Parts: sequence; structure tokens; C-alpha cells
Amino acid sequence: MDKVGDVPIDELSLVFAALADPTRRAILERLARGDATVNQLAEPFAMSQQAVSKHIKVLEKARLVQRTRAAQARPCVLDTVRLDAAAGWIAEHRRVWAERYDRLDEHLARLGAKGEKQT
Amino acid sequence: MTDTGELTFRRVHTAEPELLFDCMTQPQHLTQFWGPTGTTTPLDGIVVDLRPGGAFETTMVNERDGSSYTMRATYVEVERPHRLVWIEPESRGGMKTTVTFHPLGDGRTEVVTHQTNVPAAFRAAEAQAGFQTSLDRFAVYIERSTP
Repeated sequence: MDKVGDVPIDELSLVFAALADPTRRAILERLARGDATVNQLAEPFAMSQQAVSKHIKVLEKARLVQRTRAAQARPCVLDTVRLDAAAGWIAEHRRVWAERYDRLDEHLARLGAKGEKQT
Repeated sequence: MTDTGELTFRRVHTAEPELLFDCMTQPQHLTQFWGPTGTTTPLDGIVVDLRPGGAFETTMVNERDGSSYTMRATYVEVERPHRLVWIEPESRGGMKTTVTFHPLGDGRTEVVTHQTNVPAAFRAAEAQAGFQTSLDRFAVYIERSTP
């Protein structure tokens, strides 16, 4: 329960916080189409390179984005492990509640059968 | 339902609100249905101190390997049979769960489970229209990039 796939729940909080911002989601979508440098990422946004860098730092901290060390331009690369976990967490969370209420219905049915309609 | 992005689960059960409220708050009921599939929720692992500020804890034991997970929450509002609110301060960034019981007048009751702060920013993320689309796109991307 404290992990989704290999990702601890605490780390997922960082992921969700990072995903809460539309600019950061747009950056991720851009990276889903291919690696890009900060300059390239800044281009479509009416935003300074510095502001974009800040968003990328948040994404890096949530480990949604990696930056390669080798290249001089240090392109940003989407790290999909945590996104996958985030999507999985949502699905799992809904499933837990759905199944819980399924079992509650079964429990109610048993109670009803036992009491033979107490009215 | 004020904020659009909060997690909400709606279910209609064939029972009066009083019984449903009791099911959600009495250990002998909770042990019957609380834990996720594949787990049990033993009676001695359930703590219910049914008052605002009181503890609500459930230990769920994995049937397969015996490992356990304890949900620790604190009741915020206890209003039988209408409303039950608890907060999980430790896990998932202080997730707040509000369960309300709405009698439909025909012996059935709609139970609305409403969660906020799921973890902190999830509800905001889900509220954004593009979020699911984005995730779908990423799913496609992941499929493409995994061998």
C-alpha cells in the first residue's frame, strides 16, 4: 500500500504537485514528443528561460524529468516511471473504494439475510 | 461538490443511513469489508474513537504474505447518520475524506465519499481538463518506448 509499482507514495506527492501546474504539464507533453533543451522548451512559452528552468527543477525533483550530464546543452528527458506510477495510483485508489463498497454491499446483504428483514 | 477536481465516489446502497453510518464506524462491521481485496482487516487492528479528534485506525493484512499496512486517521466531524470526516495526517499529504449519507426515501441511501488533498496537489491536477489527455498521451508514449 505504501508503494505504487516501485515508487513510494511520498514520492508520488511530489509527482502530483509537479503535475498540478499547467506549464509543467505542457513541458512534459513537449518532452513526450522528444528530448529538448531548456532553450527549446522556453520557446513556445511567453516566459523567460529562467522561469522555465524553475519549472524544470520542480520536474527534476519529482523525477519526472532527467537531464543528461554529458552533453553541453544538457537536454531534458522525460522519465516515465513516475508518471506511470501516478496514473496507476489514481486507478488503484478508485478501485480500492469501488471494491470496498462492493464488499459493504455484500456485508449488508448478509446482515439482511441474518435478520430476515427486521423491518 | 464545490471544487470540480476533488475525488468523489458515489454509491447507492440498500440500507438506511443509520446502518451505513454504523458500518463505516463500528469495528465489527469494518472488519467485514474495509481492507482492499486480498487483505483482511482483523478486529484487533481496528481503532475507532468516534468523536472529533478521536483516532480511526485500520490495519490491513495481506493475505498472501502476512505483511500489514496501517491507515492512521483522526476524526474531524462525527455526525450520525449524516456525515463523517477524517484526515490522514501521516500519509498522502494529509488526505481528507468526507463521507455523507443521503437517504433516498425508499430504504436506499446514497453514500458520497469525497476526498481532498489526495495527495496535496492531485485534485488540482485532476481538475485540469488536460490532465487525463496528457496521461493518455504518456501511456501511448510509454507503450512506444518500452520494448
